[in-house]
Amino acid sequence: MTWTLIRGVVSGCIMFGVPLLYATLGEVIGQRAGMVNLGLEGILLVGASVGFAVTAETGNPFLGVAIAVLAGGVFNMLYAYLAVTRRANQLASGLALMFLGIGLSALIGKAYIGKRIVGLARYQIPGLAQLPWVTKTMFSYDVLVYLSVPVAVLVWWALFRTRWGLSLRTVGESPTAAYAAGRRVDLLRYQAQFLNGCLAGLAGAHLSLALAMAWTEGMTGGRGFIAVALVIFSRWHPLRAIVGAVLFGGAVTLQLQLQAQGTGISPFLLNMIPYVLTLGVLVLWAGSRRSAAPGGLGRVYYGED
Amino acid sequence: MRGLNRFALTLLLVLSAAAVFGASASAADPCLTIGMLMGGAKNDAGYNQSHYDALMEVQRNLPCVKVIVAEYVSDSEAESVMETMIQQGAKLIIAAGFPFQYPAIAVAERHPDVKFIHPGGWEVRANFGNYFAKTQQTFFLMGVAAGMMTETNKLGFVAGMPLGFTLGNVNGFHLGARAVNPNVETHLVWTFSWGDTTKEAAATQALIDQGCDVITMHLDSPIAVLQAAEAAGVYSIGFMSLESQQFAPTGWVTGLGLTWGDFYTQNAQKVIDGTWAPGFIRMGLAEGFLEIAPFGPSVPQNVREFVLSVTEGFNAGLLNPFTGPIKDQNGVVRIAEGEAWGNEKMGDFDWLVEGIIGSPQ
Repeated sequence: MTWTLIRGVVSGCIMFGVPLLYATLGEVIGQRAGMVNLGLEGILLVGASVGFAVTAETGNPFLGVAIAVLAGGVFNMLYAYLAVTRRANQLASGLALMFLGIGLSALIGKAYIGKRIVGLARYQIPGLAQLPWVTKTMFSYDVLVYLSVPVAVLVWWALFRTRWGLSLRTVGESPTAAYAAGRRVDLLRYQAQFLNGCLAGLAGAHLSLALAMAWTEGMTGGRGFIAVALVIFSRWHPLRAIVGAVLFGGAVTLQLQLQAQGTGISPFLLNMIPYVLTLGVLVLWAGSRRSAAPGGLGRVYYGED
Repeated sequence: MRGLNRFALTLLLVLSAAAVFGASASAADPCLTIGMLMGGAKNDAGYNQSHYDALMEVQRNLPCVKVIVAEYVSDSEAESVMETMIQQGAKLIIAAGFPFQYPAIAVAERHPDVKFIHPGGWEVRANFGNYFAKTQQTFFLMGVAAGMMTETNKLGFVAGMPLGFTLGNVNGFHLGARAVNPNVETHLVWTFSWGDTTKEAAATQALIDQGCDVITMHLDSPIAVLQAAEAAGVYSIGFMSLESQQFAPTGWVTGLGLTWGDFYTQNAQKVIDGTWAPGFIRMGLAEGFLEIAPFGPSVPQNVREFVLSVTEGFNAGLLNPFTGPIKDQNGVVRIAEGEAWGNEKMGDFDWLVEGIIGSPQ
């Protein structure tokens, strides 16, 4: 373990972890309202392609991010309509959304493959960059990186410190009880899914506008599903989601850094580290009796009539 | 899920191509219809674009030729896509994706009147030939440029999958760098994908963190690596399509572009004339299969002149980079003194040359 490796992993895990964090936060809100959304991968792709297309057309990456956020939210309304209004199975609706997202994003992004954009600018933290042991890349991030932790705190505050959040969590624990208490179950679930879509759209835009600075078909590479796993890892808590995202991002970067540094370990094995880690955590958590899962998670609420 | 999407897109493309073709066929009968199928997008500034651009060149050279292009074809759909193209009248099929070799042979056996060519394959049939550029040997020249440009004596290589010809490119690159700079190391990172752009950017960053200051790659599209290198202010060397230079305006050293236009035109002409014959074809810079991209603004004159002089010797056949003795990472002699590996061995690498930091498998 050298300084180079540690520095590389720290800066890499922040860049890699941030899009995962946004997607995980969205899914935390959604699942707190009692809905599992497996369509996250599709929303990420829609966000990535829309963000890239808008940036390529207008030359403004911030406009790209904004439109990607909206596009994610609106696109996810389809899932909300299926799973809330039409009372369809949540898992099936989510998977349908994912497939649609894959196709739709390929269609949107088709004309923009191989296009060059000016991505999100990176800003240095004043003062820190002058420290002697800091590499060029450390402490120089785009605005979405700096906003990620405040957004996580905001989500925590909204869920646990506001009346709206209490209602939302009640809906997730028991829609019937929430209804009896005078909460509008369907409306709250729509709101949660809109926010979920917005955050996933943001995550997708971060991938295509700050990390890869390119659009390629299927570029999210399963990160939507990793985010669903990270929700369980974080036990449905927005602040623990930060830990999960950073840990997973770190695992991905660690294996690339180890390869670049040259270790005797097979890169095939190194490539498995992040997924083995995810599996390991899920196994450990699943054994716990005090599950934090919302009581009504995944169940269809048929209303009170 | 990718497969399904690709299937839908392919279907759409083939149908629309068919519609366009059907509409125009009555207007003027083409002298030849060429079908081209590829695994990704025709505008990826990478491998697929090199084939597509070459096909467009055929159409410019031989205006009477019609083309049908199918993008995003997955391995399992390749056969049915080719069958559809043949139904639309294709007499020459360019199966421009590495995994399409055996699907193409299966279709070739059912349609003896249709000719097939496949890049990167090794099989030859009565109506199926293969071809590729001598990238492994030519990467030596990229290595020469990189070895002269580096200040840290560390070069970075981002590659997709550990296949024989990919290892050959890495080896060729390192041999070139070592020839001009004996202290040089080449650090190699596999992404285990040909197109996970985010991971490619992160891999580039990891190499830069390790001190590498010239980065090259073997991926479907060089865009993500070039942009990550450019953002970090290090040099880069492109591979695949000459279009990629725009992504690294400052740090660009040079690059290798695959240029198939003349070869495709010759094939089309021979099919029209009835003189087409299959072959195992490997050609390089001299024959126009590859082109060295213009040097970037930061490359000094002495480097340019030296690389060009090595290129001349290379084109004159004076230089085979894979001439022994060459040792692998463990110090074992893999190419003995007096032995030289030719084109037929370029897919056989399962080892990396001494001085490369990375794993061959």
